[in-house]
Amino acid sequence: MNRLTQSMILVLLGGAVLRITTVSTTYLNYVKPGFRPFLIAAGVVVLALGVIGLVQEWRGASHDHDDHDDHDHPHTPGVAWLLTLPVFAIFLIAPPALGAFSAKSEEPQARPVAAAETYDALAAGQVNEMTIAEFTGRAWGEGAGSLAGQQVRLTGFAVPSAKKKDRWYLARIQIACCAADGVALKVAVLDAEMPPENTWVEVVGTWKRPPSGRLEPGTIAPELTAVSLTPIPQPVEPYE
Amino acid sequence: MSERVETQAAEEVPPPEWGRRQPLGAVSPWIFVVVVGLLLLGRLVFAPYLTAPALQAWATIFVAICVQALPFLAFGVLLSAAITAFVPASFWTRALPKRPFLAVPVAGAAGAVLPGCECASVPVASGLMSRGVTPAAALSFLLASPAINPIVIVATVVAFPGEPMMAVARFAASLLVAVVAGWVWLRFGRSDWLRIPSRPVGHGPKWRSFVEAMRHDFLHAGGFLVVGGATAATMNVVVPRAWLESVAGVPVVSVLVLALLAVILSICSEADAFVAASLTAFSPTAKLAFLVVGPMVDLKLIALQTGTFGRRFAARFIPLTFVLAVAVSLAAGEVLL
Repeated sequence: MNRLTQSMILVLLGGAVLRITTVSTTYLNYVKPGFRPFLIAAGVVVLALGVIGLVQEWRGASHDHDDHDDHDHPHTPGVAWLLTLPVFAIFLIAPPALGAFSAKSEEPQARPVAAAETYDALAAGQVNEMTIAEFTGRAWGEGAGSLAGQQVRLTGFAVPSAKKKDRWYLARIQIACCAADGVALKVAVLDAEMPPENTWVEVVGTWKRPPSGRLEPGTIAPELTAVSLTPIPQPVEPYE
Repeated sequence: MSERVETQAAEEVPPPEWGRRQPLGAVSPWIFVVVVGLLLLGRLVFAPYLTAPALQAWATIFVAICVQALPFLAFGVLLSAAITAFVPASFWTRALPKRPFLAVPVAGAAGAVLPGCECASVPVASGLMSRGVTPAAALSFLLASPAINPIVIVATVVAFPGEPMMAVARFAASLLVAVVAGWVWLRFGRSDWLRIPSRPVGHGPKWRSFVEAMRHDFLHAGGFLVVGGATAATMNVVVPRAWLESVAGVPVVSVLVLALLAVILSICSEADAFVAASLTAFSPTAKLAFLVVGPMVDLKLIALQTGTFGRRFAARFIPLTFVLAVAVSLAAGEVLL
């Protein structure tokens, strides 16, 4: 692999990273929003390395082997070609945010991060907007009473249950850093027809208290009796 | 490329390829044009068909691992190149104790100051070695820094509310594994197992050798990172997490299973505490093993270490680290948790 090719791979990779972070919000499908400045910085560095290489090559070529080229460069193995793979994946597959496929494959319910934190009391007489993590945390935690009789609005996508036919979940993936550590959080929705799989919806409803003493909290998904259900476009930030 | 070429390059100055460099317009730029052409064509022709959910989930996780690791890799490469180009070799002989036996724990503890994840530590360790730091000390730094730096410890405290001993146990166990692994390498390691990447310092201005070192390391380590990312993404999609729950209650097996899961998932060390916390069915000791093994041995690290230090090194050092990490986690879990 010669220097020209190396430089072009760097330009391509740096360009792809800058493309998904600056002109679009695609990067939110892969990492937390906080990564943006670091990704832009890394993209600029990689692009700059490539451009410097191209300029050196161009000047070296026009001077034809004079001593501008007297720096030694160890051979770069062909493995560097693999750096084009993520670029291909970004442009060809355009990977979407993790959705129903990933939420289905993890049937045992995961505990949301920070479920043990204490929550404030909900405002009475209005619809409380909250994340699925907060809803699950309240339902499973000490303060389950805080949900009783309160209307909440949750946002997520629809996933059918793998075990029961007439049951479906409102799900959302929670990530800590990048999509590889995603954990699916699910709330079972009662009294509502399931929208097509993977459709994003807003559900307004009330928490249904589980029959007491049967199961330890945290083993099955909390349940929500739906009042209304509105299909929405996918949020810009698909993860919680 | 091969070890032969690198040692040659280190011995012969100027290296033989100066005289007959490939002229412009040789084969590989054309391959490159084909690649770009495929990208443009593929976007129009193939993209509508590449929609199988499993493929998309795989691609999302693969791109996520690569994208997420990129800033850390760039930072590590930058730091490593700066070490090579701007820090004189004499600095390290003054900063670290002369006796390698003492240099190992000092280097391991120094890992606490580099805020990064495991992708950054491999190029930095190789930069340290090429500047004359004892390999055992550099390896101890390599193992310790992604596990015990402040960001990771704070993340662990946040992920385990009400269980501060988890962060303490993680810090102690990781540092212990790093130091013991360094000592074992010092005592039993053979120099011909380890390939120290040659870093010829150019005759030109310093910034030029800086840019050269950065570019070389980035292309090299980046390629191997992609190998690791693709493997981890495959495992992530293929291995169902459901079967994990079935072994959660078994004492030693559950520890081994979570240690293996840490290897397979290859989660960034700054995020793994949150994943460990979500594995509620497992004992604290098993979660500790997940947190200690993850930053030291995982698929993308295996690929990076193999690429940087050679296959013979990786085949010995990685099993050593894994066994030590599991054993120390079991012991630390008994004592501290």
